[in-house]
Amino acid sequence: MEKVGAVMIVGAGIGGSQAALDLGDSGLKVFLIESSTSIGGVMAQLDKTFPTNDCAMCIVSPKLVETGRHQNIDLNINCEILKVSGQAGNFTVKVKKNSLYINPDKCTGCGVCGRNCPVEAIDLFNEGLAKYAATSVKYPQAVPLVYAINKDYCIGCGVCAGVCKAKAVEYDRKDEIIDINVGAIILAPGFDEYLPPEVNKYGFGKFKNVVTSIEFERILSASGPYAGRVLRPSDGDIPQKVAFLQCVGSRDYTGEGQPYCSSVCCMYTAKEAVIAHEHQHEVKPTIFSMDIRAYGKDFDKYIIRAQEEYGVRYIRSRISSIDEDHKTKDLILRYENEDEEVIEEVYNMVVLGVGLNPPRDAQHLADKFGIKLNPYGFAETDIFNPVQTTKPGIFACGAFSQPKDIPETVTQASAAAGCVDQILFSERGKLITEKTLPPEIFVAGQPPRIGVFICHCGINIGGYVDVPEVTRYAATLPNVVMSDRNLYTCSADTQGIIKEKIEEYHLNRVIVASCTPRTHEPLFQETIREAGLNRYLFQMANIRDQCSWVHMNQPEKATEKAKDLVRMAVNKARRIAPIDRIKLGVTKKAMVIGGGITGMVAALNFASQEIETHLVQNESKLGGFANHIYHTLEGGDVQAYLSNLIEKINSNKFIHVYLDAEIETINGYIGNFKTTVLHGPNKDRVEFEHGVVVVATGAKEYKPKEYLYGQNKNVILQSEFEKILNTNGAIKDKNTIVMIQCVGSRNDDHPYCSKMCCAEAIKNALLVKKLHPEKEIIILFRDIRTYGFKETYYRKAREAGVIFLRFDENYPPEVTVNGSSLKVDVKAKKVGNLLIPTDLLVLSAGIVAPHEENEELGKMLKVPLNDDNFFLEAHVKLRPVDFATEGVFVAGLAHCPKTIEDSISQANAAVSRACTILSKDEIEAEGKIASVDPSRCSGCGMCIDNCAYNAIELIEDRRFGTVAVINQALCKGCGACSGNCRCAAIDVAGFTSEQIYAMITGRL
Amino acid sequence: MVMIVGLEEENKEIESNMRELARGLLKEKKVDVIIGYKKGTLPMMSQPIIIDKEEDVDKLLWNNTCYVNLAKYLVPRVAKFVDPEKGNLKVGVVAKGCVGRALIHLASENRINLDEITIIGIPCNGVINRQRIEMEIGEKEILEVTASGNNIVVKGKNFEKEFPFDEYMNELCKQCKIRSPPLVSKFPDLHVGACEEYASIVDEFDDIAEFEAKSPEEKWAYIQDALSVCTRCYACREACPMCYCNLCFVDQNKPIWFGKTTDMPDIIVYHLIRAMHMAGRCVACGACSLVCPMGIDLNFINRKLEKIVKQRFDFTSGLDPDTLPPMTDFKMEDAEEFMLEED
Amino acid sequence: MTEQAIEKQTESEKWEPKIIAFLCNWCSYAGADLAGVSRIQYPPNIRIVRVPCSGRINAYFIIKSLTDGWDGVVVSGCHPGDCHYISGNLVARRRFAILKELLEFFGIEPGRVNFMWASAAEGERFAVLIRKATEIVKKLGPNKKFEKKW
Repeated sequence: MEKVGAVMIVGAGIGGSQAALDLGDSGLKVFLIESSTSIGGVMAQLDKTFPTNDCAMCIVSPKLVETGRHQNIDLNINCEILKVSGQAGNFTVKVKKNSLYINPDKCTGCGVCGRNCPVEAIDLFNEGLAKYAATSVKYPQAVPLVYAINKDYCIGCGVCAGVCKAKAVEYDRKDEIIDINVGAIILAPGFDEYLPPEVNKYGFGKFKNVVTSIEFERILSASGPYAGRVLRPSDGDIPQKVAFLQCVGSRDYTGEGQPYCSSVCCMYTAKEAVIAHEHQHEVKPTIFSMDIRAYGKDFDKYIIRAQEEYGVRYIRSRISSIDEDHKTKDLILRYENEDEEVIEEVYNMVVLGVGLNPPRDAQHLADKFGIKLNPYGFAETDIFNPVQTTKPGIFACGAFSQPKDIPETVTQASAAAGCVDQILFSERGKLITEKTLPPEIFVAGQPPRIGVFICHCGINIGGYVDVPEVTRYAATLPNVVMSDRNLYTCSADTQGIIKEKIEEYHLNRVIVASCTPRTHEPLFQETIREAGLNRYLFQMANIRDQCSWVHMNQPEKATEKAKDLVRMAVNKARRIAPIDRIKLGVTKKAMVIGGGITGMVAALNFASQEIETHLVQNESKLGGFANHIYHTLEGGDVQAYLSNLIEKINSNKFIHVYLDAEIETINGYIGNFKTTVLHGPNKDRVEFEHGVVVVATGAKEYKPKEYLYGQNKNVILQSEFEKILNTNGAIKDKNTIVMIQCVGSRNDDHPYCSKMCCAEAIKNALLVKKLHPEKEIIILFRDIRTYGFKETYYRKAREAGVIFLRFDENYPPEVTVNGSSLKVDVKAKKVGNLLIPTDLLVLSAGIVAPHEENEELGKMLKVPLNDDNFFLEAHVKLRPVDFATEGVFVAGLAHCPKTIEDSISQANAAVSRACTILSKDEIEAEGKIASVDPSRCSGCGMCIDNCAYNAIELIEDRRFGTVAVINQALCKGCGACSGNCRCAAIDVAGFTSEQIYAMITGRL
Repeated sequence: MVMIVGLEEENKEIESNMRELARGLLKEKKVDVIIGYKKGTLPMMSQPIIIDKEEDVDKLLWNNTCYVNLAKYLVPRVAKFVDPEKGNLKVGVVAKGCVGRALIHLASENRINLDEITIIGIPCNGVINRQRIEMEIGEKEILEVTASGNNIVVKGKNFEKEFPFDEYMNELCKQCKIRSPPLVSKFPDLHVGACEEYASIVDEFDDIAEFEAKSPEEKWAYIQDALSVCTRCYACREACPMCYCNLCFVDQNKPIWFGKTTDMPDIIVYHLIRAMHMAGRCVACGACSLVCPMGIDLNFINRKLEKIVKQRFDFTSGLDPDTLPPMTDFKMEDAEEFMLEED
Repeated sequence: MTEQAIEKQTESEKWEPKIIAFLCNWCSYAGADLAGVSRIQYPPNIRIVRVPCSGRINAYFIIKSLTDGWDGVVVSGCHPGDCHYISGNLVARRRFAILKELLEFFGIEPGRVNFMWASAAEGERFAVLIRKATEIVKKLGPNKKFEKKW
């Protein structure tokens, strides 16, 4: 069977897009299939994201734009999967492309049709809270920016066809059915939110001021229905008291909702409460929840801030019912608090923290692709590889396999891509067609010959700005040798015209005055490059978004402004120069630091792609943290998995293992590292070159100082207990076993959740109950954080008779010893003060980062740590395994506490990210980057600290002494260095001082 | 603290301690050369001197006309202290508080290697406001300046005038909280003499609050008035230990950002941008003001700079080479009250 | 009122400030685009200069704009934490804080130079703040402080 160097990705949310980018960047052809009309999924609907309160649109839209124009990604919207055949390495998928009734090749996304459509119809993106027309894009920043006609609402009046100057409206445009041949498939259809049934206890759909969290998210959004103001739907008033209800449709055994925990609601609710208060200080949020499941990196700190800085009130209760005050439309909530009092309170608005359901078409997808779903209706995946479905060659990522948040989804997307890499690495580049371009025309030293193309954009610009006047004016400006106007400058025929004019007039600079460079610059750059001009000999003036659309009632002013913008662009264009992007060689080898499960999985993935890998382990054997773990909560046999891994590592010819190793130096940068390692009992020195680094150094178990640990033999750690249970099982005389959770977690020293201790405790408790049902087990906890499907084990433990008692963080249990008997004194919620005599006290010790080791490695690699000494990734949401320093990646416990499955995902994700580098013979640096003029630089070093990418270092120059130098491979071109440089020694290509000077002075 | 009866005795005490330390350093070969002050050719001036022999130690002097910030002599625009045979020389620097601060700050900007210098700390008692005294004396020629009691005595042909030092001290010295060079515990061999540890500097900046309270028009008028006499001789730049750019922004072309003329707008822009470049770097030595031939008091701009970085970023320059200066560093929670917000 | 005075008054009312706006590419420029796409109307006084990041905006750009006769300057970047380049806006914020204080110390009216944050999703906010900045500058009148005398 012949392998196919192409991948199909179903679902173009953030997960699908990330997987597509990873695979596209590593040389595979990607078919990205989306059922709706634009990409971005749920994340594009969010206002802000936790725990950083990043603006979702700001961070996601560059990624979407990149996906939309990636030359290896074939984006297909409005699609349906019809049939799948074949097997891993070679699948054929029959896809139906539903008609948009607008020709996407002609549509310029100008939006005139939507604005003229007489039929008011529902806009899905704003969750029914704002009205839009039947011809619409999903939202203003949509990728691709193509309009579609919603036939359900269209009355066929023909207005849109009449107003469309691009002649893109085609009412009779037919659906299309195509066969796509791919080697692997990634399913990333996301989730659907739980919608309460028609008759429900919360009055959703009946009471106007009861909204779901997704609806509330749109209310908060600046691009939402109320432009970011927090208003209640019934009367548009600002709600003062807002109640957020957790676990709506989750952790629900009544059959109405789902039994599992939806994992993300606790955090998104806290975020919504914080943002609501931030947007409107009058809003006083109250959150009703059973447990606060803030188990992720820096989540607990966010919850504390929500309470302390934003006055968010938490009440531990589940609301049983809601009534409406018919006059005021306020809502009356009734609940029982932890002191068992029934309380009634009035709220102005209620937000339902709805859970995550499997996507509605999950069964359909499963049938088509031949994969199994689990009992909850999500994709069933391998116990140790959470992206592997039940069918080889088909992977799942994101919420399709279990509810999860954005970084976990992005991690899994890369992990799925990493698994695809293993199958298709040999096929890279085979289906990619490189465009042949003419050689660049030599323009250096020649006087500028500028051509200006001014766009009418149908009537979008031409209807308000006097385009002929601007065109005449442009012709009068210095160095402008031609100026012309077009109906749509972005249309395919105008691209031909631009090329002709470049030739006819010997243009060496081109200006397009039309819309925004953020979406259209690459298109025009491509056009002038095809005509032989360097891509960077191009400028845009945004006379649509900045003139005609925002000064519609002042056409004269808009015209005057358009002229100014064109003049400023001309002034800049006179000073622009070609930019050559430098190319750097790549050493196609990897170094993985850390020989635990994470490091080994990463190394094996590299090796399976025939990439030589150096695995550096500081201990005398492989295995790391997993050496102390026997099973996962879900029943995975960790020891068997581990020994299998070690065996594979030791027998792999592509992997060099260094034990008892310490890293002496790491020099170099992306693609070109050189490292020396001292290893073995004799500290032999070895030096090797590599192109990437994966940091998988793990973390340690906390050694408690509290609760008499180390002083009394009957006080042990959960890991020690696990060992006893799984080896000799000598707990016969221990009739009462008390477990204390959060030992060394969520306190002042370690203000974070260690994520796995709840699962560990429940796992061991269940094992005890299985072996000795008569034993009494009491678990003292603050919150039980069995997120996702782990929730069912919590349920099982309760059913098996394990007693769970919640204590307040301010009153931790006290342990006393009298002779040989241990007693635990605890103030338990709902039960009161208890003195529990116990035979065995098991402490759920948290996970701590090795401070000194991490700091030392961080310095060597120039990567940062967070406050808790875990490694800090490049971006908490969208770059979870990357470092800001290019070519260096992080995975596993080194990043933050996490489960084995998550560590494995991260390991594969890190490999996928690394392969975007290692798959290339050379990498191209960014074009618009900074450079230092050594004759001006005085070497003060301020720029080094200003640079977020560690791209600058001081060197000794023979002529100029100590000067800064910028590594072109690492520079991203932000210019933070140049902004502070007193000597003006640093300039940024594409935004040089001279160019900006010309724009400032160009007004006159 | 020893009570010293008068300024003259105080200066003598400082001077003799300094000479002893210098002698010791040279004798024990702990330093190769020492930079200090010697008597100037003009009565109200002292001059820098570099000595490398024990017998020259008595040329070193301390009085209240030691304006120059000697740190300036260690930055690379002046030839480095290198011996063809010995390599980099070890340099002792006679350092009042602001000289010590300049050295430490310059180390944070990679200008100076602290391993190669020794700070000879002196507990500075302030320098005189030369321009003010000259202004009051007027056209008459000053022949001698001495200290007596707590006064500065200025003598000339047919006249003698006493100025109370407290009042006729340089403005920055009046506010000075760091009279001796700061200790840097990471470099135990860096200091001899009177050096002090400064935990955190308390300064209310009352002296500039009044100016800040003025209206923009009043401030503009004052600035115009104060700077109108500037001839752009750049003496301020030449005296400043922090001005060591290879090519100052005013001398750059491609593009010529700002005019090089002595038109008012160009003068103001020069001082405005120089101030911008000094933020978090100025060590309040006052050298710029004291060397200004036109007597422009640049100190009040320097005070403003100190205030900005202290109040915004809790930073005092030149206390610790490892604390990142404000323009080099940033914090998520930096104040941003100046940002435009919706009503 | 004399005719002359009336003419003078209408003259000053008719006067429209010219404002230069330096916007970072990833958030504020995108926010301005969103204001456009959403057809949110704001005064036509600003001329936008796109820069990669607010971190690129040197004090020279701002001071040069003032000396070159722009009546007002607007500088807009990503909200803290949103920077496409991780921390460029935080580096810039310190620079802007110092510059703003110094400009005011030198007697430049506080409203001449306005710093703001606007995200890619805040088209409305962008328009509101531009409206506000325009009004502030309009109230200050023409920027004549750096005008040369001839």
